[in-house]
Amino acid sequence: MTTTPDSHRTEVPAWRIVAEREITTRLRQKSFLISAAVLVVGVVAIVVLGSVFGDRPKHYDVATTDPRSTAVVEAASTTLAASHEDSDIAVRSAPSPARAEALVEDGTGDAALLRTVAGFRLVGAREVAGDLSAVLTTAVQRAALDANAEAQGVDLSALQSGAQVDQVLLDPDAENAEARSTLAFVMVLLFYATAVIFGITIAQSVVQEKESRIVEILAAAVPIRSLLWGKVVGNSVLAFGQVALVVVAGVAALSVTGSNDLLADTGGALAWFVAFFVLGFLGMAGLWAVAGSLASRQEDLQSTTMPGNLILFAPYMIAVAAGEGVKTVFSMLPITSAMLMPARLAEGSVPWWQLGVAVAANVVALVLTIRFGARIYERTLMRTERRIGFREALTLSD
Amino acid sequence: MLQTRGLTRAFSRRTVVDGIDIDVVPGRVTGFVGANGAGKTTTMRMILGVLAATSGDVLWDGLPISVAQRRRIGYMPEERGLYPRMPIAEQLVFLARLYGLTTEDARARALDLLEHFGLADRKDDLLDSLSLGNQQRVQIAASLIHRPDALVLDEPFSGLDPLAVDAMTDLLLREAGDKPLLFSSHQLDLVERLCDDLVILSAGRVVAAGSVEELRGQGPERFRVVLEDDDAAWLRDLRGIAVRDVDGSTALVDLDGVAAPELLASITERSRVGEFARVHQPLSDIYREVA
Repeated sequence: MTTTPDSHRTEVPAWRIVAEREITTRLRQKSFLISAAVLVVGVVAIVVLGSVFGDRPKHYDVATTDPRSTAVVEAASTTLAASHEDSDIAVRSAPSPARAEALVEDGTGDAALLRTVAGFRLVGAREVAGDLSAVLTTAVQRAALDANAEAQGVDLSALQSGAQVDQVLLDPDAENAEARSTLAFVMVLLFYATAVIFGITIAQSVVQEKESRIVEILAAAVPIRSLLWGKVVGNSVLAFGQVALVVVAGVAALSVTGSNDLLADTGGALAWFVAFFVLGFLGMAGLWAVAGSLASRQEDLQSTTMPGNLILFAPYMIAVAAGEGVKTVFSMLPITSAMLMPARLAEGSVPWWQLGVAVAANVVALVLTIRFGARIYERTLMRTERRIGFREALTLSD
Repeated sequence: MLQTRGLTRAFSRRTVVDGIDIDVVPGRVTGFVGANGAGKTTTMRMILGVLAATSGDVLWDGLPISVAQRRRIGYMPEERGLYPRMPIAEQLVFLARLYGLTTEDARARALDLLEHFGLADRKDDLLDSLSLGNQQRVQIAASLIHRPDALVLDEPFSGLDPLAVDAMTDLLLREAGDKPLLFSSHQLDLVERLCDDLVILSAGRVVAAGSVEELRGQGPERFRVVLEDDDAAWLRDLRGIAVRDVDGSTALVDLDGVAAPELLASITERSRVGEFARVHQPLSDIYREVA
C-alpha cells in the first residue's frame, strides 16, 4: 500500500460529498418539492388574504331625499375618508322616503338617511355597518349642533375651546398590532414545522444507512464524524434554503400588496428570524442525528425522536399559550429562543441585552450539542442490531 | 502484506476474537474459514477499523496500519449494504469520491466496472430493481471502486447460485491480481478451489493456518487401492498401513511407517492392482479435525 500522490485523487472533504448527496437526493424527491411549494404558497396566501380582508377601502351608498340629509352624508364621507384611506360614502337621491327604503331593500343602497320630526332616521336592510352608522351619527350630531348654535347665536368654537383631545400613542408598536401578532405566530409555526420536518429527515437519513447496512462501507471509507457533519450540513442547507425562500416569498407578497409600513416595522424581526433559525436548527441537528443512530429501523424513530419533538413542542406551546413573563425567560434559553425571540421582536421591541443573551445561549448550546451528538453518534452508529436507549448510549464505550 | 498480530476483541467480558495472527500475502488468496460465531466478521471489521480492537495490531508491510492505508482496502461487509433507492452508477461514484477519486475519474471507474460486470445498460436503474445476483455484483463493484491495494471480503459468495459464483470468482481473481485478498466463507469446496492459503478459526482462535498444501500435508499420506477381481479386505493384514475403509475391491489406506512404493510392491505380490492413487484429504476433513 504505497501512499504516493496520485493525480486521480483529490481531497474534497468527505463531509462535503456526503452533504451533496443529502441535498441532491432530497431535491429529486417529489414529496420534498411539493411540500416546499405548498409552504411558500401558504405564506403568500396568508399575506394576500390578510390584505384583502384587512384594511381595504370601503364604499357605501346612502339614499337621501332632501338636501339636509345629503349634506350630512357628504360630511360623513369626509370623516370616513380621513380615517380610512380611499373610502367614501356616495349619495343616492330618492324622490320619496318609500323609494329610498326600496333602494336599501334591493341592495342598491347600504342605508337610507331620512328626516323625521325629531331629527333623522337611519334605515338599513338587516343591519347598518358599524363604521357607517358611527360616522353618520357623528355627522348628524355635528350638523344639529352647528345649526342649533347658529339659531341661538352661540359661538360654537368658543363653547368648545379647551375641550380638544388629541390622542397620541406612546407605544410605537401599537400600530399594526394585529398584523404583527399574526406574523409572530406564523414565524413560530414556520420554525416549528421546518425544524421538525428537517430534523426528522436527518434522523431518517441516518437510520436508512444503518438499515441498509451501507454504513459499514461508509465507515470504512471515511471517519464517522464526516458522515455526521455531512448529514447535518446537507439537511441544514436544505432547511435554511426553504426558510429563506418562504421569508423572501412572504416579504415579496407584503410589498406587492402594499403593506410596506408593516414590512418596515417587522423587517428586522424577519432578519432575526432567519438568524435564529440557523442557530436553533444547528443546535438541534446533533440531537436528530443521534436519534437516527440510536434506532436500528425506521420504526424505532418514533421513540428515539421523542426528546427532539418535545424540545420543539414545549416552546411552541409556550409561544402560543404562555404569559409574557414566561415567554421572556424562554426567549433567552437555547433553542426555545429560536422560536420565541423572533416572535417577540415581531410583536414589539426587545431590550438588546436579552437579544444578546439569546444569541450567546444558542451558540453555546450549539457547540455542546454537536459535540455531545458526535460522541454518541460515533459510539452507536455501527450497532445495527437493535434500538439503543439514551441512557445506554451514554454508558457505551467504543 | 496485510497482517494481524494478537488481534483481540472483547464485548463486555466475552472475548470473541482472541489473539489472532493472520498473514495475507500479496498475490495469494487467503481463505478465512470457521463456524458461525467463530469471530471471522469481528476480525475483518477490526482489520478495516470499523470496530476498535481491544488489543493487538493490524500491520501493513510490517508497520501498524495508518488511516490512509486502511482506506485503500476494498471491503465487502457480511451484511450487504448499498442505497436501495439510488441509481447504481451514482452510488458507485459517490463511494469512489468518498475514497478520494475525482468526480470524472469516479464516473469512468464506475462505468468501467459496470461494463465489466455486464451491468452497463442498467447503470441508471435503482439498486432494488435489480435481481439479487446483480445486486451482489454491484456490491463487489463497490468494494473495487477505488482500485484498492488489498481486498477483505466477508462471505462474498453467499446467496449466489453456482454459475454466478463462477462468474464472480473469475472477476474477483482478475481484479485482485497481485494484491492481498482475504475472504471468508463457509463453502469449503469453494475455498478449496480458490484459496492458496487458509486460516481456520474456531471460538475466536486460529486453530490452523498455512498454505492449502501444507495443511493437507499435515495428515498421513492416503491412497486409494482398487484390486482387480479380488476382495480388498486382506489389506488389513499388511503392516505399516492403517486401512480406513474397504468396499469390495476398493480400499482407502493411510501410510503408517511404510513408503508408497513398498506398499505397492507388497500388494502386487498377491493381487493384480487396477488403481493405486494418492488421495488428497478434502478440506472438510482438515476442518473437522481442527475445528
